[in-house]
Formats: sequence, structure tokens, C-alpha cells
Amino acid sequence: MNPTVDSLRRAFGTTIGRAFVSCGQTVVYVDATELRTVLRWLKESPDEHYEYLVDLTAVEYRDAERPLEVVYQLRSLWRGAELRVKMELLNDEPLEVDSVVPIWRAADWLEREVYDMFGITFREHPDLRRLLMWETYKEGYPLRKDFPLRGRFSRAEQVRQALAANPEAHYSLEELSAAQLQDDLPGDMRERLERGERGLIAEPGESDDG
Amino acid sequence: MELTPSPGAVPPAAGRPDRTIVGQVSPNWVTTRLDFLVNWARSNSMWPMPFGTACCAIEFMATAASRFDISRFGMERLGYTPRQADVLLCAGRLPFKLAPVIRRIYEQMPQPKWVISMGACASSGGIFDTYAMVQGIDTVVPVDVYVPGCPPRPEGLLYGILLLHKKVRGETIADPALRRERVFKQGDLQIPARLIDELSEPFGNSIHQTRSA
Ligand code: SF4
Repeated sequence: MNPTVDSLRRAFGTTIGRAFVSCGQTVVYVDATELRTVLRWLKESPDEHYEYLVDLTAVEYRDAERPLEVVYQLRSLWRGAELRVKMELLNDEPLEVDSVVPIWRAADWLEREVYDMFGITFREHPDLRRLLMWETYKEGYPLRKDFPLRGRFSRAEQVRQALAANPEAHYSLEELSAAQLQDDLPGDMRERLERGERGLIAEPGESDDG
Repeated sequence: MELTPSPGAVPPAAGRPDRTIVGQVSPNWVTTRLDFLVNWARSNSMWPMPFGTACCAIEFMATAASRFDISRFGMERLGYTPRQADVLLCAGRLPFKLAPVIRRIYEQMPQPKWVISMGACASSGGIFDTYAMVQGIDTVVPVDVYVPGCPPRPEGLLYGILLLHKKVRGETIADPALRRERVFKQGDLQIPARLIDELSEPFGNSIHQTRSA
């Protein structure tokens, strides 16, 4: 068992739930209310120093009674130690967690992915949009257990909705690394990117007939 | 020699009279000779636009490299810009997110253009009968040649390319419908919805999966 668990219990008391070792990994459950404080402490306290967020993901179990879990895999490069922090989301409560982007910048896309696949909302995330599926995707959250493998809509409807997306409409100037090209871009594109407009955007000339 | 309009010729479109002249020409000695020349040139200098999305693209690279060498068939110039390509070669699975992309690439290619669908995934969705995958790129762009296999061996792809050559040699400029292109708006389906549903019916293992709505 990773000695960090004992330090955590000393510092936070009952906020820290059960802990066990699985395949050599120490897993510790943390209460949702104190999650961000605990994770910040794990990163910043000089004795712990988990400065690297390896992965952030979520699990839904087949057993419908079991809560969803959000998983934070931490690593201290400095000490060579690993810790897996888990947080449980009860099914009858809204799926909401505090974002850890203020602590680890790396959590940005990881949280977007979890939001995209599980529908868990991260409070105070700077830019919570779908990451893998396109932004106007309407069928729900694919990795949830109640999601049918082939999706909810008919294939034809899926093709139609996919084709209705504008492949250029998903990026901001920064994401395209085109900020310095701003003056060279066509006027309408520049305007659209500056507005930060997302998702479905009418093609130029869509109104006239083919 | 006088050019006689064939009985089934399409009347000239308003404002564009010149476009249908070729369509009014019946297949005669001149056009067949011309066809032969044009098709010979086209089929022997195709410029492919590789749209490699997955593992099949690796096999495509092998086809393009020295051992199999598609330059033997006049295809050594891989155009990574659709505006200078004749053959869209979709090698790999196509997720729904890329569907508008491949359509736009297809639309950007100048006529004459052809499409080869390489591999099981591009042709039918393959093993990926899931929420994220287009079940055959022919639901998004028209396809000329399907190459089966997962992945097809380079010989298979070469055979597909040769079949395409054969198809091109059989084309005639007297056929006005051949190069006619529909302009799609965003979200337009190119084949009827009913047909897409039928084409993407589950098969194999996936017939046991259910759809909730
Ligand atoms: S057909 Fe097979 S090799 Fe080709 S993209 Fe699909 S899985 Fe990969």
C-alpha cells in the first residue's frame, strides 16, 4: 500500500474512503466534496508531489446499482510513485464533478473525452465540448451501458446528421494554429473563427438552389 | 460528315447549349476513335488521391512502394490535393465524423473522377458495425470499384486498379450522363434513406445487437 494513503487520512480524515491494492496499484476513494482540495494537496504538498496526471477517465459497471467512477491516475515523476484516485458518482444525482484543469492543464482534453463518452459534466472546465464525436452529435454518450452499440438512430439518419456537419466549423483560430495568419484568411472564415462559432453553420450560398 | 442527333438525345439545357453537343452525337466511327484515344490516355495516367484512414493505408503504401509499384500503371503521382487527382482511393474505415470531409474532397476533385473503395471497412463497414462508423462509403460518395479484403493484398488492390482501367476504357464521351454531377447541400443523402438502412443491415455477429429506438 502506498504510504500516501496514510498521509491522506491524517490530512483529510473521513473525506478519504476505502483504499486497497489492486495489481500493485494503490486505489483510494475520495469524497466528491473535497475532491479538488485533495488532488491539489497531492500535487503541491512537497512530500507527495504527484505532478503528473497520467490519465483521467471514467468507468460504468454492468451492475446498475454500482455508481459511476471517475478515475484519476497520478504519478510522481520525482519520487517514482503512482496513485489511483477514484471518485464515485451516484446514479440518482446529476453527473457532475469539479474540473481539475486548474490543477493539471493536461486534464483539459481528458475531461472533454469523459464528457463526450459518459456525459459527466466537469464544473468550471474552460471549454467543455465533445472531443471524439462531432459537436452536434445528438445520440447521447456512447460508452454508457444503456447506449446500443449501433447507436440510437437509423443508419440513414446517422449519415444525414454526419453529412450536415461542417468539417471546418469545429476549430478556433488558436486550435488551427492560424492566429498569425489572421490577415490572410478569407473574410467570412476569419469572422466565423473569431466569433468562435461552433457546429452547424450554413454553407455560403446554401439558400440558392444547388 | 454530318453529326446527326440521336433519337434519345437530351435537349440542350437553358443557358448552356454547348454542353449537350457531345450528347447529341450518336456513337459513330469518329466518337469511338476519339473515345479510344481519350480513354487510353485517361486510364494510363491516373492520379490517385489516397484517403488513408486506417490499416488498409499501410497496404496501399506497400502497393505504391517499389515491390508492387503502381507506377507501372501510370499511377506513381500520388496527389495529396483533391484538385489535382482523378481517383479517390479510400483505404480504411470511415468514421461518421469524416463523412463530410470525404464528400468535400470528392466534390473538390475535377471531372473525370473515379472512386476505389479499398478494404472491407470502406466497402461495408467491415468489422466495425458500431455507432461511429459509416457502413460503406458508397452511402456518402459514388464508388466505381470495390476491393474486398481485410486488408486486401497489394495484388488485390492492383487488380482493382486494373478493373478500373477496364471500366474507363469502356466509357464513351457520347454518354451525357457519365460525367454529370449532382450538387449536394449539407446533409443531403446521395442515395435514398431506405437504401442506406438496407445496405447497413447488421450481419454476422452483430445481428444479435439491438437498437433501443
Ligand atoms: S478492412 Fe481491415 S485492414 Fe482495412 S481498414 Fe478495415 S480493419 Fe483495417
